[in-house]
Amino acid sequence: MNYSEFSLPLLHNAVDIMTPVLLAATGGLFTELTGVLNIALEGLMLIGAFFCIVFAIATGNLFLGILLGVTVSILVASLMGVITFKLKANIFITGLATNLFASGFTVFFSSQVFGTKGVLRFAGQPLLPRLDHGFLGSIPVFGEVFTGHNFFVYLSWILIFLAVFLIYRTPFGLRLRATGKNPEVICALGLKPMHYRFYGILISGFTCGLGGGFLSLRLNAFVPEITAGRGWIALVAIYLGNKTPVGILGAAFILGIAESISIYIQGIINIPADFVLAFPYIMTVIALIVYSIFKYYHSPENNKGEG
Amino acid sequence: MNKDLSVKTWPHLFNLFITLFLASGFVIALIFFFSRTPGKSIYYFFIGPFINKYYLGNMLNSGMTLMIVGLGISFAFKSAVFNLGGEGQVYNGALVATVICLAFPGQSGFFIIPFALVTAIIASGLLAFISGILKMKWNVDELISSFLISGAVIQIINYLITGPLDDPANNLLATRTIAGQFFFPRILIPSALNTSILYALLLPVLAFMFFSFTHWGYEMIMCGQNRQFSHYGGIKVDRYLVLPMMVSGGLHGLAGGTAVLGTYHICYKGVTAGIGWNGIAVALIARNHPLGVIPAALFFAYLEAGAKAVMLHSDVTMEIAALAHSIIFYFITAQFLYQFIKQRRRKHW
Amino acid sequence: MSYLRMESITKIYEKKGLLALDDVSLEVKENEFHAIIGENAAGKSTLMKILYGLEKPQAGRIFFKNREIKNYTPMDASRLGIGMVHQHFKLVPDFSIAENVVLGAEPVKGGIFFDKKKAIEEVQQCIDHYGFHLHAGDKVKHLTVGQMQQVEILKILYRKVDLLILDEPAVLLPEQEVHTFFSRLKELQEKEGKTLIFITHKLREIMQIASRITVMRKGKAIAVLDAKTTNEEELTKLMVGTPFLFYLKKEKIDPANVILELKDICLYDRTRKYCLLDNVSIKVHEGEIAGVTGLSGNGLAELEDVVAGIRPPTSGQILYNNTLLKKFDIAELRQGRLAYVPADRIKRGSSTRSSIHSNLIISRRHTFSSFGVFNMEHIDRFVTSLIKEYSITGHKNSPVATLSGGNIQKVILARELSVNPNFIIFCEPTWGLDVASSRFIYEEILKLRKKMVAILLISSDMDEIMNLCDSIVVLYRGKKVFAQKNSREITKTMIGEYMLGLKDDFNSENNQETKDSLP
Repeated sequence: MNYSEFSLPLLHNAVDIMTPVLLAATGGLFTELTGVLNIALEGLMLIGAFFCIVFAIATGNLFLGILLGVTVSILVASLMGVITFKLKANIFITGLATNLFASGFTVFFSSQVFGTKGVLRFAGQPLLPRLDHGFLGSIPVFGEVFTGHNFFVYLSWILIFLAVFLIYRTPFGLRLRATGKNPEVICALGLKPMHYRFYGILISGFTCGLGGGFLSLRLNAFVPEITAGRGWIALVAIYLGNKTPVGILGAAFILGIAESISIYIQGIINIPADFVLAFPYIMTVIALIVYSIFKYYHSPENNKGEG
Repeated sequence: MNKDLSVKTWPHLFNLFITLFLASGFVIALIFFFSRTPGKSIYYFFIGPFINKYYLGNMLNSGMTLMIVGLGISFAFKSAVFNLGGEGQVYNGALVATVICLAFPGQSGFFIIPFALVTAIIASGLLAFISGILKMKWNVDELISSFLISGAVIQIINYLITGPLDDPANNLLATRTIAGQFFFPRILIPSALNTSILYALLLPVLAFMFFSFTHWGYEMIMCGQNRQFSHYGGIKVDRYLVLPMMVSGGLHGLAGGTAVLGTYHICYKGVTAGIGWNGIAVALIARNHPLGVIPAALFFAYLEAGAKAVMLHSDVTMEIAALAHSIIFYFITAQFLYQFIKQRRRKHW
Repeated sequence: MSYLRMESITKIYEKKGLLALDDVSLEVKENEFHAIIGENAAGKSTLMKILYGLEKPQAGRIFFKNREIKNYTPMDASRLGIGMVHQHFKLVPDFSIAENVVLGAEPVKGGIFFDKKKAIEEVQQCIDHYGFHLHAGDKVKHLTVGQMQQVEILKILYRKVDLLILDEPAVLLPEQEVHTFFSRLKELQEKEGKTLIFITHKLREIMQIASRITVMRKGKAIAVLDAKTTNEEELTKLMVGTPFLFYLKKEKIDPANVILELKDICLYDRTRKYCLLDNVSIKVHEGEIAGVTGLSGNGLAELEDVVAGIRPPTSGQILYNNTLLKKFDIAELRQGRLAYVPADRIKRGSSTRSSIHSNLIISRRHTFSSFGVFNMEHIDRFVTSLIKEYSITGHKNSPVATLSGGNIQKVILARELSVNPNFIIFCEPTWGLDVASSRFIYEEILKLRKKMVAILLISSDMDEIMNLCDSIVVLYRGKKVFAQKNSREITKTMIGEYMLGLKDDFNSENNQETKDSLP
């Protein structure tokens, strides 16, 4: 029982920590499946984080705030999509631009409107409620790990579930996947691969907005660069999850556990805070390397130079 | 001369013009929206950088650093290797140069300055080398790995600056100031413009000659334009995954070292201030052309200087520059019609 | 009123400045087997893409079933009853047959969900109805080329169209399967009452089954002929403009020294646990054209990669100029004056973004520099002289992407021959080229032979192999099944049987001893 005293809160924390990464990765998966690497996840999350809390404060209503915040994030995603696909810009560069825009815009806006470039703290404003599950919470282990989170956590699971259906069980998903595997097939049918890529980016905007909202609303504050590389970690989670929704869930969970453990260790040994901030990056890059090595030795053609 | 270095210029200039026009329009719109004295703000944004020696010199100075960073990025992009770790590599170079200077406070600048800069170049070059070698060995996406490694490095350096290397004597989160004999002489006093301008301007020219007239430059460009063809042509393509990455990282390190020795004389937390990202924009505007980096960097520095001037003289914050940058970023590769023709696969042949 | 009438169709590709179709009219009767023939870039595909709704013409009208149709997409075309099979497969290898077939017209249950079960059922019904032998649930990546072709046809049959457009669908099919494929199409016309429009190069076959033939040349429809009253010669004449006689003068050369020798080359695919190349041994003498042929997917591409040093073999030896290669690396081979014209001209053979200049110098870049610095004058002279010698139409600084296919191949050829090779690999050297360009390539190959260069010709074009080569090797599933000197006794049918794996000279042990030493 001693063992579970710290391991269960650890897992409980991991479930909490993985949520924004999972949300961003779910949306990112849709773009990835259409054959587009969306490096703007980070920026879209940042936009979501900022506007969710700003609108929640402005309207005094948590859900209205999230709704409006996510809408802004979708709008930014669609702006990026329009520039990429209509004006034929390089998605990699518009992705970078979106990230740059997000970090510049959030700070600019907060200093012009709220008069601070630093932390935007909101006292006594709508907090994310933790959901109680009555008897579910009393189930040992399961109850301690999976209950008592805020609704974003459960929403992220529902979204993963929906993603499975959307990707594998609808005509839309079939065409989406065909776009990534062989866009010429879609062209030959008279459909436009560009449309599916655009939808992918919009879905990224939606889930990243939610992921960002989770970050700022849980903290009840907006901190510049609050996303701290989670959009990039989400990208790695997509790879680690082998581009499947369930795989992403697993990958996000493992990354969540790793971060949860590092936070726990920080509690016992005195590690400087900045150092701890480096952990998610280090762990993710190691995971990426291990994954790539594995992939390399199992690919049919590890033929260098022909890539 | 290797003509593949240049690009078809007129459609590019046309796009560039539209982009700059849009960016300016965006800035003006923002100022009108947020400023209580829009006329004054607009004046300071566009004319501010030229009104005195101080602003002008500082603008040129930040342009020099951007030039080196932009050149570093264009080395990587030209070889179709993506280095997104610029921010961490510049930071790393700044710290390494500072530490070297602090370690030899009594020595002559004649030896220590080159030593500090070369160490900064090597240190950041090695950082980028990791991503390059990972790509070569196991096909680890260098775009993501360089970003993540840079992210980790930034936090570790933050820790070092605020922890072991922090100077308790000042109120900043910063190291001690380096000894005076390591300072680059200032040129346009009172501004920060200094003698690093000599090599900042020389490097793009050297890079241009490297790409145009040397065997290795040719191989590097060919690898960037079509890696499979280059392999077929007998070029050892693996080398050109790692080498451009290292050169890129090295130049970032040099930019960091230059910023410390020339401008700041200390290394404070967040000294890089997004220069790694702006370097990417500079390289993109310049179309990765080594000489194009010079005007592109100066233009970016101008935007930043304008933002600084408007912040000091008016009520608009500096992030307006970041917004203008992102707008430029957005549109810089939008090719409109021109690229549309080029990208069409040749079906009937 | 006719079933389908396309009137005065004009199509200009403005961006390319190309008049693809110039006032073309086409009439097709109901339940007709209508063939369209013409050289490359005659406008056949463009005309069909317009009919299918993929491209919009600048002028002209289309009447289908007595009704004018305009401004429609391929999706609309399917609903109207027009379907098209493209020249290249438009399939997703990771999807099942059923998923590929229904894509774009998916059966739906509950309003939004893709009904996978129904898709498999319906597609299986369709397969059984038309007498194909396929399982709807199988992944497309496991199918043979012939079966993929069937899936392509199923895609349009599933949509219950009456007018089938087929754009050179037989181009990838093995010679033997072509026949069954054509008779299957004939069945569709006769038994199912479908109307077919067929673009092809295969004159002999088409004359047996088509009712009428439209000949196109340079964006114009120049003749409509009755298949029964015309003949091959007349068609060729119309297609090419002037009667084209193709004689290759081959001088007799006695093969002397062995330049290249492959010994028991194996290439094993670990993930698929499959031998891509299985104990292949080939010798190439100087002054000899050694031909290797086979159907796609049977090891030709892999052999190309191994010989060129792009992919190291799992086992086996390569002797080059009688010395054993220790490293299978193209960079090393290039220094030993390897010349190599690859099958993939766009990605491997040239850098389309780069200038002609940059493309031409890559093989000889070492000879232009001292201490790493290029001698620019020397390079300029070299490039200018090559452009002149091979009459490449393009400025040296313009990107290769702006050139035509024939000119791209000339750039590759010019570059590869500039190293004065004593050994050269040609892979599919005339694939997709027009007659004049092909002829130019053949002449160059024969010139090389005369200069006692050892030539390895890897090609799936049987005519090319039989006309040019001194010795012929056939690969089937990565194995050498046939190896003989070229002679009049060797016929196309005979080679075809080996290509399909119907015959194997190296199957029994005793057979191998005698025949292996031949080429």
